[in-house]
Amino acid sequence: MLQSIRKNIQGTMAKIIVGLIIVPFALFGIESLVGGGGARYVAEVNGEGITAPELQQQINQQKRRLLMSMGENIDPSMLDDQLLAGPTLEFMIQKKLFLQAAGEYQMAVSDAALGNIIGAIEAFQIEGKFNSERYRQVLSDQGYSLGSFQDSLRDDLLMTQLRAGLSGSEFVTKQEFNQMAVVNEEQRDLRYLVMPLDDFRSEADLSEAEIEAWYEQNQQSFKTTESVVLEYVELSAVDFYPEVAEDEVRELFELERDAFQLPEERAISHILFEQGEDESDGELQARIEKVVAELAQAEKSFAELARIYSQDLGSANFGGELGLTSGDSFPAEIEAAVAALAVDEVSAPVPSDAGWHLLKVTEIRAGKVVDFAEVRAELELRLQQEGGQRELVKAVEELRDLVFNAEDLAEPAASLELELHTGTEISRNQQQGLFADPRLISAAFSKEVVEDGYNSDVIELDEAHYVVLRVSEHKPPSVKPLREVRGEMLAVMTEELAKERITERAEALLASLHAGASIEELALANDYPWQVELGAKRDNRNVPASMLARVFTLPVPVDSDSLFDYVQTAGGDIEIFELVRVMAGNSDTLAPARRQQLSGRLLQEGSSAVDAHYQKALLARADIERS
Amino acid sequence: MEAYRTEEEQLEALRKWWQENSRSTFAAIALALAASFGWQFWQDHRATQAETASSIYQDMLEAVNLLTAAPAGPEQVATVRHLAGTLKTGYAGSTYAQFAALHLAKMAVAEDDLATAEQELRWVLTANPVQEIQLLTRLRLARVVAAKGDTAAALAILETEDSGTYAASYAEVEGDVYMQLGQQEPARAAYERASSLALSEGSAASRSLQLKLESLNPIPAREVVQVAEEN
Repeated sequence: MLQSIRKNIQGTMAKIIVGLIIVPFALFGIESLVGGGGARYVAEVNGEGITAPELQQQINQQKRRLLMSMGENIDPSMLDDQLLAGPTLEFMIQKKLFLQAAGEYQMAVSDAALGNIIGAIEAFQIEGKFNSERYRQVLSDQGYSLGSFQDSLRDDLLMTQLRAGLSGSEFVTKQEFNQMAVVNEEQRDLRYLVMPLDDFRSEADLSEAEIEAWYEQNQQSFKTTESVVLEYVELSAVDFYPEVAEDEVRELFELERDAFQLPEERAISHILFEQGEDESDGELQARIEKVVAELAQAEKSFAELARIYSQDLGSANFGGELGLTSGDSFPAEIEAAVAALAVDEVSAPVPSDAGWHLLKVTEIRAGKVVDFAEVRAELELRLQQEGGQRELVKAVEELRDLVFNAEDLAEPAASLELELHTGTEISRNQQQGLFADPRLISAAFSKEVVEDGYNSDVIELDEAHYVVLRVSEHKPPSVKPLREVRGEMLAVMTEELAKERITERAEALLASLHAGASIEELALANDYPWQVELGAKRDNRNVPASMLARVFTLPVPVDSDSLFDYVQTAGGDIEIFELVRVMAGNSDTLAPARRQQLSGRLLQEGSSAVDAHYQKALLARADIERS
Repeated sequence: MEAYRTEEEQLEALRKWWQENSRSTFAAIALALAASFGWQFWQDHRATQAETASSIYQDMLEAVNLLTAAPAGPEQVATVRHLAGTLKTGYAGSTYAQFAALHLAKMAVAEDDLATAEQELRWVLTANPVQEIQLLTRLRLARVVAAKGDTAAALAILETEDSGTYAASYAEVEGDVYMQLGQQEPARAAYERASSLALSEGSAASRSLQLKLESLNPIPAREVVQVAEEN
């Protein structure tokens, strides 16, 4: 059919039809003729797709960034594609939403503006001037093409413009600043003392009766872990590797020789002459002779002549190149002619079904012959693996029968001449060695094996590795005797008792404070350290952080009646404090640096709120499909 | 030869059809081409307009950056004003003009010129912005009006709006306005709403919001459980 179209394409009629096809093609591109095609997307954002390769590219860039910022010491699990895929996709969706919004708002960046920016990037400059060589170099180093770099720069610029317009125009009014200063710059006067837990630890002298009672009550926390002592037989294909004779290896080599050899390949070009409908054989020959003569003059190269004369439109524009052949890509008559040519030699005219060819070999790639010695080890290993695997399967079958009927493993192991390992003790949460494998652990602790004393099944770990086991001794969990755990227990008891006592004492001191004693008096009487802090702000660093947090959640004291309270630190010390006075913050008296710090924080909070709300707004009205 | 005959006939029929319809076909093609080029011209024009506005905006942003980097000299302020003004008059319908007005408002707030700030924000609202920009502008307008002291108007601006994804910020500003009025109860309610809206959107309340709530919700001191003992 193509042939007949080709024959008929000469008429005016045909040209008109071609013209009709060209119009939409020229105006709207190839998609208008062949349709969109079935690309697979990992997500679609308002109908715009993100393809898997795009996602992968972004993941790779993300990995490069992580490597750059964290260096060699990076945790390799952070570079896991699976792990990065989710967040990266979300990032791409967000970005797409922003760019679509920018498009909707009619935002744009001209090529000229883009050029200015590229010109100003230092990485592309040599001695302060833009250098296009370097520009290309840097881009290709970073894995960008010219187009993809400009696109991504344009996208970045649009996003920056958009964010500058929205969160970048955020402000803080004086009123808001003043109101926040009232809270943020609030000052509180306090006195406090610190009771060290140490003081109460040393007081802990425990009676024997107390210790025993505690031991009875807390036996559960002092148990040994359950374990079993195993004997087992392990079978690996490696143990069954047969001796392989030299001639077997050689035989395999002969058999697979082809897979190891690369054939010789020739790159060929041609000039095609087709006989016209009204053209006589003589005329055709004359046409060919003319080109042959031009070739002989060597004014124009073969490639140029192909461009001018070849009637194979597909290859003419590429200097007649047809690509590589190893002797079976083209019709036999062409291959025969090509095989006889040296590099850069041109053949005499060769006929084929398509017409007459002038053929030229532009390159000969030598084939690769592999030496037996090079692959000997590889082939031998393969033969061994095959043989070993066969023997292993046989052995496993026999072993299965034997262990099923036998009382123990000694007999089956002996009759198959396998080694019986004994005396291996493991627990349920074995972490190391062969028995860290959960399949073996669950077999070793199964009812049949532990309680009934049977042999386990022959367990397949992988196709070249099997294990069968039985339990020679079961050690159930038992309570450790008191003398073994005494030391450990005393430490825990002392700690708990100390915490109990320090709390009691703190309550008592708190009561004294309410009754009119002062922090100072109590501290001196008990030899505790004590402090006064006037005008502490929320970010004060002299006062312990745990106490400061509590101090600022207390209400404002009424009628200059101090408030008293205490907190316990993670280490168990107790801080008792008195809140004397609260002074609201005043923006007028703030130091300039302090002002700047607070207004900076407020602006920052405002901007990120705008970013977050805006992003959510785009998300809320978007149609997003993740697949 | 049978097939060839029918092919001949088909060609003949096609040729006949062509003679009858060639004129109207050409007319249709010409019309389509004209429409297409016209559309493209319009698109190009719009693109050029957008690109020019974009360049002016980019220049304005650079001037704005200079403002914040160093103490602003009068000529830098003038540059921003001039470029923003160009966008607002020459490209009034563009989003760039709205962004420019938002920046003018920010500049006015910094100079404590609340009347101008209000004017700029109101200009954005009359420029018919998309909803997500309109909500943001309204919120800022309420804050500026409150800063001017007109708390009632500020509350009205905040209330009349379906505040969409900006709801948390709307609630927080409402709380601020009540605090300005010295009304702690409605302020607390508004702040609590803001905090729970932020949480439900998956973001934590800001440090400032936490502090505002903390100071309105004090936790009383521990009660004494025991009678004082001798020490």
